Amino acid sequence: MDHATVVVSGTKIAEEIGTSRSEVWRLVQQLRRLGVEIAGHPATGYRLQAVPDLLLPDVLAPLVRATIFDKHIHHYYKIGSTNAAAMEAAAAGAPEGSVFFAEEQIAGRGRGANTWHSARSSGIYCSVVLRPLLPPSEALIISLAAGLALHVAIQAIDPKLSPDLKWPNDLLLDGKKLSGILTEMNAEATRVRHIVIGIGINVNQASFPPELRDQATSLRLSTATEWSRVELTATLLKSLDREYRNLLEKPEARQSILRRFEESSSSVRGREVRVEENGGFEGTTAGLDARGFLQVRTAHGMRTVLSGTVRFLK
Amino acid sequence: MNQKELKELIEFLIEKDIAEFELERGDVKVRIKRGGGSSAAPDTRYFAVHSAPPVTPEMATTPAVPVVATTAPAPTQEAAPVVEENLHIVRSPIVGTFYEAPSPGAPPFVKPGDMVEAGQVLCIVEAMKLMNEIESDVAGEVVKKLVTNGQPIEYGQELFAVRQRT
Repeated sequence: MDHATVVVSGTKIAEEIGTSRSEVWRLVQQLRRLGVEIAGHPATGYRLQAVPDLLLPDVLAPLVRATIFDKHIHHYYKIGSTNAAAMEAAAAGAPEGSVFFAEEQIAGRGRGANTWHSARSSGIYCSVVLRPLLPPSEALIISLAAGLALHVAIQAIDPKLSPDLKWPNDLLLDGKKLSGILTEMNAEATRVRHIVIGIGINVNQASFPPELRDQATSLRLSTATEWSRVELTATLLKSLDREYRNLLEKPEARQSILRRFEESSSSVRGREVRVEENGGFEGTTAGLDARGFLQVRTAHGMRTVLSGTVRFLK
Repeated sequence: MNQKELKELIEFLIEKDIAEFELERGDVKVRIKRGGGSSAAPDTRYFAVHSAPPVTPEMATTPAVPVVATTAPAPTQEAAPVVEENLHIVRSPIVGTFYEAPSPGAPPFVKPGDMVEAGQVLCIVEAMKLMNEIESDVAGEVVKKLVTNGQPIEYGQELFAVRQRT
């Protein structure tokens, strides 16, 4: 990747990958359709106009050395859902630290029946496989830690930016959704087999479809500059690696996650909310309990929010 | 033996004040022990049905009530008057919200009467937007779903009863 933008003849590429020049031409055309800028033709040779901001294993692996994520990076140009691929791979034995990226998801998933808008190469669609040696009830806090890790990563790149965490792990900018996280777990009664954390981040979208315009924003829309997806992804994986190791190794990590979550969330206390679970209820947020569940003070006493549907009332 | 026959049998036993009764007929085995006298301790309550085709616990509970109600408070569903061998209870390993289907509006993972394999997903329990697939740890028939869709679940709460295949 060091000399990615030199001219290479079609014949040489064909020899290196063991195919014909016409097949190389076909592959180049395919890459161009995927948005990779390549100049030239079979006679003169091909040249990459710029190193594409693609989440390729060869590009990312050197940037995340010494984390658990540097060995099993999988990249797809188009996929149904990175979470579905990661869950399937994990069930088939994929090791801890396996990462799945897609430039485009055609069935990106959110919570319940929600979908995740996954336009090609403008966002980051990423799922990671973890295998913590924890009982399932102690692994739940990973859901909060994932949102916190992304918060830390964005601030590391642009300290002026302060996304607002919304329980359990959405990030908001200007009150609109910047990222969403969906975590899936497969566990025995006393032991987690695998956890897949799916992270969707709106990075370089210049606009959103009309039905999302009021709810969604991107880093580009918020900062008026294009972001390197490669840089943000590498920073995120390092941040996630740090949170995860701390959680497994340091007894005080849970307290730290809860404290930093509260510091990074304007809505975890004193916000009027409606909760769409267990018949639905309304009240004022009152912080997190020791396990990380959101507390809501209602007219009928304190209640605990178990799952994720919290709607702001004002 | 159907439910009507069972009920008639129990009424007959009460009428004749018979405390213990056992019947084996082909692959059907019925054993009824009732606390007829005032001194009967609650732990003598016993009612078991082993038969093929299987009798569901709901069906067995109904006729059991009049048998024991004479000396002890009527057992509720939770008191589990049904004692059945090979009945395995699947419990939730986490606190959360119970979902019977992969997404709202989708058909449930399983329903009573379904045969499941060990490792097959029975439901999802969600906590903090973390979806926990709950698997059956035994192979057999789903006899009963013990919770309702969207219900809050405690740690260790009973979710399904599965009759283990032997």
